[in-house]
Amino acid sequence: MEYFDYLQLVAKILLVVGVCLGVVPVMVWFERRGAAWMQGRVGPNRVGPFGLLQPLADVVKFIMKEDFTPKNANKFYYYLAPLMALIAPLCALSVIPFGSKAIVNGQEVVLQIAQMDSGVIFILAFAGLEVYPIILAGWASNNKYSVLGALRGSSQIVSYEISMGLALLSMLIVYGSFNPHDMVSWQASNYWGVLVNPFGALVFLISIFAETNRLPFDLPEGESEIVAGYHLEYGAMKFALFFMAEYIAMIMASALISTLFFGGYSLLPGMSQLISMISSHFGFGEVGMTNVTAVFQFVSLCSKVGFFMFLFVWIRWTLPRFRFDQLMDLGWKVLFPLSLINLVVVTLMVYFLNK
Amino acid sequence: MSPVIIVLAAISAVLAVTMLIAKNPITSALCLLGVLLMTAGIYGLIGEHLIATIQLVVYAGAIMVLFIFSIMLLNLNKESSEFKDKPGIFIGAVAMGLGVFGVIAFALNEHFLKHRQEIPTGEFTSEKVMALGGNSKVLSHALFSQFYISFEVISLALLIAIVGAVVLAKRKFD
Repeated sequence: MEYFDYLQLVAKILLVVGVCLGVVPVMVWFERRGAAWMQGRVGPNRVGPFGLLQPLADVVKFIMKEDFTPKNANKFYYYLAPLMALIAPLCALSVIPFGSKAIVNGQEVVLQIAQMDSGVIFILAFAGLEVYPIILAGWASNNKYSVLGALRGSSQIVSYEISMGLALLSMLIVYGSFNPHDMVSWQASNYWGVLVNPFGALVFLISIFAETNRLPFDLPEGESEIVAGYHLEYGAMKFALFFMAEYIAMIMASALISTLFFGGYSLLPGMSQLISMISSHFGFGEVGMTNVTAVFQFVSLCSKVGFFMFLFVWIRWTLPRFRFDQLMDLGWKVLFPLSLINLVVVTLMVYFLNK
Repeated sequence: MSPVIIVLAAISAVLAVTMLIAKNPITSALCLLGVLLMTAGIYGLIGEHLIATIQLVVYAGAIMVLFIFSIMLLNLNKESSEFKDKPGIFIGAVAMGLGVFGVIAFALNEHFLKHRQEIPTGEFTSEKVMALGGNSKVLSHALFSQFYISFEVISLALLIAIVGAVVLAKRKFD
């Protein structure tokens, strides 16, 4: 690899990680304001305009708090768990493409961190690794409620991973490729994946709610039953890491569902006219045109991700929490057969339509 | 060979030794997980992304979760005390392990490394795989056309194993 290759790789990693970590405080603010708005309250509005500086105050609080470790906790694993929680979703983000290509300094830059042949399966691999921090945190804190939360969390994630994988598989059959770029270009030239395979999209959407431990599936944290579940014994910045990991997993899941079912970075309607207007106004050549397109593709993906982040908050304050047996029934008796039948139907559909 | 591969190999060797000598079963299981992750990293660095991904999905994401799950549900204190104070067995086991390792290394050296030039290479070179559309495409094509009967037989064998395990577990609870 040349100097330029390393430079563009580091730049892309910094962009993705920076955007994700930057979105977290905004999401925390939006979650609280959104909750207040949906419940007819005011919400945090004292710190800065519209309470926008509230996350900053939260960060100061997290840093200033005492860094407490329970006496009988297993120290090494207790500190390892929050780190692992942050690593898995960040790794999975490396395969999501956030634009087709840009041209910098005469060289083409593909806007995706890891360009690999088995792209989407790689995301599934890291989604599978999200179980470990939950098990470790629950076990290492040496608390009955934590262990209960860890058991709930791991059985939930393992169960819903199956229907998530089957929904993903049905889309892989439609696109005939593992490569996310191919998927996006297929959707740009045909239809969005959600129109081709609506049941797959529905199963996938429900499964990512369970995978990210969000309401109505936040049984591992169920405050009213097991206090706070697997991160009960965590305080200060260690708790903040779990909190950040949850939001980054949400960003990852939103980016994944946008790429698979909602056209990924392909331009939203009206954007192509806007691009030609801008480039004719400023007199851009082919290079400038490509770069402006890349910017608009990034904006397009971000707006889709933003919509799904809003959906996460919206559903959180709309639906009540499930009971644990209802959750398992939904996973194994409804979603699993539904996704299996859907897979067979999609396979037959693709076979007969491509014949 | 990239220097990162050597670092990953060294870390995985350290983790493997820790897995063997650790007294806590959870430590052993997590060290094994580390070894699997490092191996996946090495596969990825030599360009075999599909194998790396499958390693992560199957071993790290599925099998190790079951291992850790079952270890945590057992009584941990009893498990860790059973491994104590048996230096004779430990030394014997280390000696035996080194012996087996020596035999395997010797055999590999005798039969493969010395005659590397003479062994005929297979049909697929890396250039040809790239021309055919990447590893995942070539592998899936081979699995679902040329070898599809063996593929189905293996899945049937796994299904039989699952049914057998369920039957055995059910008898114990009834």
